[in-house]
Amino acid sequence: MKYSKLFIGLVVLAAMVMTSGVTGCKKKPKSGDGLTYDEFGNVLGPMDGAGYGSLMNPDDLQVVASQFQPVFFDYDSAQIAGSERAKLEQVADYLRGNMGIGLIVEGHCDERGSNEYNLALGERRAQAVRAYIIGLGIEADRIRTVSYGEEQPMAFGHDEASWRQNRRAQFSLFQ
Amino acid sequence: MRSLLTLLFALLASSSLASDIVIRKGTGKTSVDLSGMTFSADTAARDFFTTLQTSLARSGWLEQGRPGASEYRVSGPVQFDGATIRAQLTVAQVAPPRVVLTRTYNGSAAEVRRRAFEAADDIVEEITGRRGFASARLLLVGRQGQAKELYISDSDGRGMYPLTNDKKVIAAPRWGHDGRNIFYTANLTAFQGIYQIDLSTRKRFRIANYSGSNISGGVSPDGRYMAIILSKDGNPELYVMRLSDRQLTRITRTPRAVESSPSWSPDGRQIVYVSDAAGTPHLYIVSREGGTPRQLTTRGRQNVSPDWGPQGEIVYSSLIGGKFQVCTINPQSGMIRQLTSDYADHEDPSWAPNGRHIAVARTEAYRSRVYLIDTMGDPPILLVDTQGDWFAPKWSR
Repeated sequence: MKYSKLFIGLVVLAAMVMTSGVTGCKKKPKSGDGLTYDEFGNVLGPMDGAGYGSLMNPDDLQVVASQFQPVFFDYDSAQIAGSERAKLEQVADYLRGNMGIGLIVEGHCDERGSNEYNLALGERRAQAVRAYIIGLGIEADRIRTVSYGEEQPMAFGHDEASWRQNRRAQFSLFQ
Repeated sequence: MRSLLTLLFALLASSSLASDIVIRKGTGKTSVDLSGMTFSADTAARDFFTTLQTSLARSGWLEQGRPGASEYRVSGPVQFDGATIRAQLTVAQVAPPRVVLTRTYNGSAAEVRRRAFEAADDIVEEITGRRGFASARLLLVGRQGQAKELYISDSDGRGMYPLTNDKKVIAAPRWGHDGRNIFYTANLTAFQGIYQIDLSTRKRFRIANYSGSNISGGVSPDGRYMAIILSKDGNPELYVMRLSDRQLTRITRTPRAVESSPSWSPDGRQIVYVSDAAGTPHLYIVSREGGTPRQLTTRGRQNVSPDWGPQGEIVYSSLIGGKFQVCTINPQSGMIRQLTSDYADHEDPSWAPNGRHIAVARTEAYRSRVYLIDTMGDPPILLVDTQGDWFAPKWSR
C-alpha cells in the first residue's frame, strides 16, 4: 500500500515537472536551464549571449504601446519585488497567447545619480524583467530591452512620491 | 589730482576703449596692459577686443594691468574694413624691454571671435608657457523646450548653435580626438544606439546598434578607439571598440554590476570608469587591454562621471551630504581634493585643455547651468547663460 502511494506520488511529481517545462508556469529554479539566480531567487538571465538571436536591434519594427502596468523598483535596485510578479505573469500570459507579437521592456530610473550611470541601471532593470519573463517560459528572442535612464520620467516632482513612480519598467509590443 | 584727471580724460578721449583699471596685488598672475591697442570704430573691432580681453582674463594666468605698471604690454591696430578684420598685435615684455610676439590675425566678419580666441591663446602661451583654452569649444546637451538636443558653443559660452533637432532622448556626448567628429547616445529608433556626427559634413552615422545598451564613452587620445557600454552579453559592461572596423574587445566581466562613463588616460593605456561592483558606484581603473581592475575610490556613497585630464588628474562628481560636488583624485597618490561645497548638484565635470579649469553642469533649484571652475582658486564663472537648461558639458581638446 505505502509503496504504491509513493509510486503514484512520484509519477504525479514527474508529471508536474514535465508539464511545467512545456507550459511555462511558475517553477522553482533548476540548474541547466541556461539562467542564473541571485540569492533571492530572482532570475539574473544568461551570462553570455543573452539569447537575443541576432545581436543587432532591428529597425523595421512596428511598435505599439501596451496596456500593461509598469513594474516598480526600489531605490538603486533591479530586484523584482514580490508585489510586482503578478504583473509579469500577465505579460507572459499575453505573449503566450499571441505568438506573433514581441515585447520591448523599457527600463527607467529616478533623477538621482548621473545620467550615464542611470542609463546603465535602467538597462539592468529592463534585463531583470526580461530574464524573469524568460523564466516564465517566453522565448528569449521575443523580448528586447531599451533603457531611458532618468530621461523620460512619468512624474515630475523632486521627492520620493515622484521618484517611486519613475523607477520602473514599462512595456510596448512589436510585430 | 589735476594730472590724474588729465590722465583719465586722455584715456577716455582716445580712440582705444578704456581698460579696467584694476590692480590685484599678490595674485600670482602676470599683469598685461592692453591700452596700447587701437581700434576702428565698429562692432567687429570692438568684438575682437572684448573677446580677447575676456579670454586673457579667463585663462587664469593673466590679469589686466595699468599702463606703466604691468609686466607685459599688448599694442597694435585692430581694423575692420567692412569685410575683413585685421589685428596686428605686438606683445612686449616691459622690463627688460623685449618683444615676445608679433602676429597678424586676419579673418572675415564671421571669424572675428575665432581670431580673437587664437590671439588670446598665443599670448597666454608666449607669456606663461602654458596652454590656453580660448580656442576650445564646448559640446553640450541643452533643453530649451521639452526635448534635449546637442549644441556646440565657444569657450565663453557664446556662439551657441544646435547640432540636432530630433526631439529624441540623447545622452553621453563626446568629442572625437581632433575636434572634427562628435559621438553620442540616442534613441532615434525604438532602441538605443551610438551615433557619430561629422562636423564638417553634418552627416550622421550609427556606429553601434547591439541588443540592449549602446552607450558612448571616451575616445582614445589617438582617436582610434571608443570605450563604450554594451549589455549584449547579459548586463551592461565596458568594451573598447575600434572605430575603423567596429571590432570589439570586452574589458569587464561583472554579471552582478553595471559599468558606465569610461574615460581614457592621457597616454591612452588605461581607462577610468564607474562600476557598482562594490555595491554603490565607484571609480575603477583598468588597462585598455583588459585584466583586473583597481578600485580607485572607496569612500562616499556615489562617485561618478570621471574625466581623466591632460595633466593626469581625474575630476569626478561625488555625492557628499546629499549633493554632488566636484572632486579631483590623483590616480597615483590617491589624494582627493573637493573643489565645490555649495548647496547645488554639480554633474559631468570636464577638464579644459589647459588642465586647470573645469566646466560643470550645476543644478540649483532645478535649473541647470554650466559653470567654469578653477582648480587654483579663482571664483567660479557662469559660462552658459543662454535660456534653458544645460547639461553634460564636454571641452574639446
